Amino acid sequence: MSNNNSQKIEEGSAKFIRKFHAVSVLAIIAAVLFFVYTNTVNDSAKYPFKLGLDLAGGSHLVYEADVSKIEPTEVADLMNVLRDVIERRVNVFGVSEPIVQVERSSFVSEQVVERLVVELPGVTDVATAVEEIGKTPLLEFRLIDDAVLQEQAAAEEGVEFDEPLDPFIDTGLTGRYLASAALEFAGGQGGQLSNEPIVSIVFNAEGGDLFESITRDHTGENLAIFLDGQMISSPRINEAIVGGRAIISGGFTPDEARSLAQNLNFGALPVPIVLASTQTVGASLGGEVLNKGIQAGVIGFSLVIAFMLLWYRLPGLVAGIALVGYVAMMLALFKLIPVTLTAAGLAGLVLSLGMAVDANVLVFERMKEEYRGGKNSREAARAGFARAWSAIRDGNITSLLSAVILFWFGTSIVKGFALVFGLGVVVSMVSALLVTRTLLLALPETDLKKGSLLSKLYNSGIKTK
Amino acid sequence: MIFVTYRKIFLSIAVLVVACSIGIIAMLGLNLGIDFTGGSLTEVSYEQRPDKEILSGELDQLGLGSYSLRETQDDEGRDGFILRTRDLTEDERLTVSTVVTAEGQDAAVTRFTSIGPVIGQELKDKAVWAIVAVSLVIILYVAFAFAGVSYPVGSWVYGGITILALLHDVLVPAAVMALLGYYVGVEADVLFIMALLAVLGYSVNDTIVVFDRVRENLVKFRQEKKIKVVGTDGLEREEIEYILTKPFPAIVGESVSQTLMRSINTSVTTLVALIALYFIGGEVTQTFSLVLIAGVLAGTYSSICIANPLLVFVAERKMEKEYGPEVKNESKKDK
Repeated sequence: MSNNNSQKIEEGSAKFIRKFHAVSVLAIIAAVLFFVYTNTVNDSAKYPFKLGLDLAGGSHLVYEADVSKIEPTEVADLMNVLRDVIERRVNVFGVSEPIVQVERSSFVSEQVVERLVVELPGVTDVATAVEEIGKTPLLEFRLIDDAVLQEQAAAEEGVEFDEPLDPFIDTGLTGRYLASAALEFAGGQGGQLSNEPIVSIVFNAEGGDLFESITRDHTGENLAIFLDGQMISSPRINEAIVGGRAIISGGFTPDEARSLAQNLNFGALPVPIVLASTQTVGASLGGEVLNKGIQAGVIGFSLVIAFMLLWYRLPGLVAGIALVGYVAMMLALFKLIPVTLTAAGLAGLVLSLGMAVDANVLVFERMKEEYRGGKNSREAARAGFARAWSAIRDGNITSLLSAVILFWFGTSIVKGFALVFGLGVVVSMVSALLVTRTLLLALPETDLKKGSLLSKLYNSGIKTK
Repeated sequence: MIFVTYRKIFLSIAVLVVACSIGIIAMLGLNLGIDFTGGSLTEVSYEQRPDKEILSGELDQLGLGSYSLRETQDDEGRDGFILRTRDLTEDERLTVSTVVTAEGQDAAVTRFTSIGPVIGQELKDKAVWAIVAVSLVIILYVAFAFAGVSYPVGSWVYGGITILALLHDVLVPAAVMALLGYYVGVEADVLFIMALLAVLGYSVNDTIVVFDRVRENLVKFRQEKKIKVVGTDGLEREEIEYILTKPFPAIVGESVSQTLMRSINTSVTTLVALIALYFIGGEVTQTFSLVLIAGVLAGTYSSICIANPLLVFVAERKMEKEYGPEVKNESKKDK
């Protein structure tokens, strides 16, 4: 496209190529718009907008996991087990698209806290949700230190110790190694009452090995079984148990034992968790926020385009089309990635409408200088892009760097904002350099001296000199 | 160019604005929301709101510590209350929600948020670290991008001034927030931090665009002169010295006037979008847009009236140090 000013045939083909590029760009924008439109109107669309809880209504629960007793190297694994267990739990109450994710407080905090974030769209009855999740049992096996137990007994008789001692020793064997659980009725052997409801559990291979080594090393001692922090039984280990089977008996009623077996089958918690924060937004409140955000977006969009048209005339129209392209691409990316839209994200998008035309404004101002300096419209456009490039590049790179840092540091809400901000920077650059440039170059050539309507349409803003 | 000629006035205004902003923030403080302090917020809506006194009477018996109960009204004309307390356990939450919905007609809890103090503190730390990290990266990048024009002022100066302008642009909306918090009771939440971060992005972009023009004009109006220098090791080596064919303040002034239209137009388009958001976007994002409007105005002022005058100021100081006061007088002859 560069050396097209020597021969007529070349010029003709260059003209055709410019027109072809312009039509392709318009077609692409139309296709993206169509994609966004069909995927929004259709309820069963493949790529719907993903609305955050503050827009769609729902509950956001944050649990803190107590990993103080866990080897640091195992924490990540255990948190993943925890996530899977809770996810299975949450799926039981039929919420569409629940999100369960592990979040770790970053290195800027003094204390590392492991969290589990549970998002339940559409669930505003948070009490039921919390209760359901709370039913997930925490199963632990601990050895009993007889010496400490005796000391404690002594303490109760008046002998004082410097610090209270914990008679229970963690074995590392927890609900995470559970394969299945079932309700059974004891046959009367091994000191159990006949027909007592019990829960038999089967460990997975790893758990079975661990159970075997614990029982072999500590034959003769007592192994306590803790459910949700309460000791329910502490049978004596008579011999090494091979095969990974164990029995929990603790004076259950048949119903208690049945529900325990059921809950254990959904999964047992590998670490204790505590509810740290709750957030619930009613669906109608969320819908109102969404509608207003959209309205503000549409009006902001129209005002920006109106300003560009009034000030920059023909190039302003091109900028308007580029802005349509910008919005279409952003919305399509929101659907494809997908980006969860929140009130903050929506506000960020509206804000970016104003900032996205910046590259256009930069180019047009440079272009105007060149145009008034005597260049014809197309040369002026080319020069405008070439000259404005370094400013666009440096401005956008610093913005992009900021977005990356925010994404890296931020909690989930800030991350979402950083993502929208970063996407906005990249997409606005694409829209200016691709859409605006292609369309501007495809427009018919003119220069200021001609004084025709077209040449006036290129000259923008207030008249100076 | 008036922005360079009367730079002392513009810089004094900026110093005054920054001093006032710092004073306001220091005296009034930011009214931090539960996102940072931890606590809980319960929003209830009624067809017919119960009497505030009756409700507080019942809440007093729950032993929640100090709490605040504020009357609200949503856009559909439904009355409501917003109750703020320390962070509640699940049981306490249930009790509270029973109490507030027991009175009045057609009551429903529309929003409940409870945030533990640890999460709040963490958010605070993260916000501070993010802003520090972003500032550092910007100084580094700008110093790198302007490395080609380290005469007459070093490329680090450009980065440093960008951060000073940034500080101005962030302090002004923060002071606005402090005023809003003090007089109207608006709380600074996560959205406020996001607004500040957006201001940060806008401010840097704005300053860099103007500096970019200075960079371009500096290259245009300079001549290279190769001079031979004898180094400490006795070897002769060639160094390039630059001579500006136009005084530095004039170059800067010209750059400001060339980018003035762009600075104003981009602010206008951004402000237009923000004003739409403020009036139509609903209550949730109203503070967000107000903080941003203050930030964009401050950002536009700083890129035109702070960044470039400061550049000239630094250059003059440097020349005065190197060549004595005559150079300064000479450079003042610009229009």
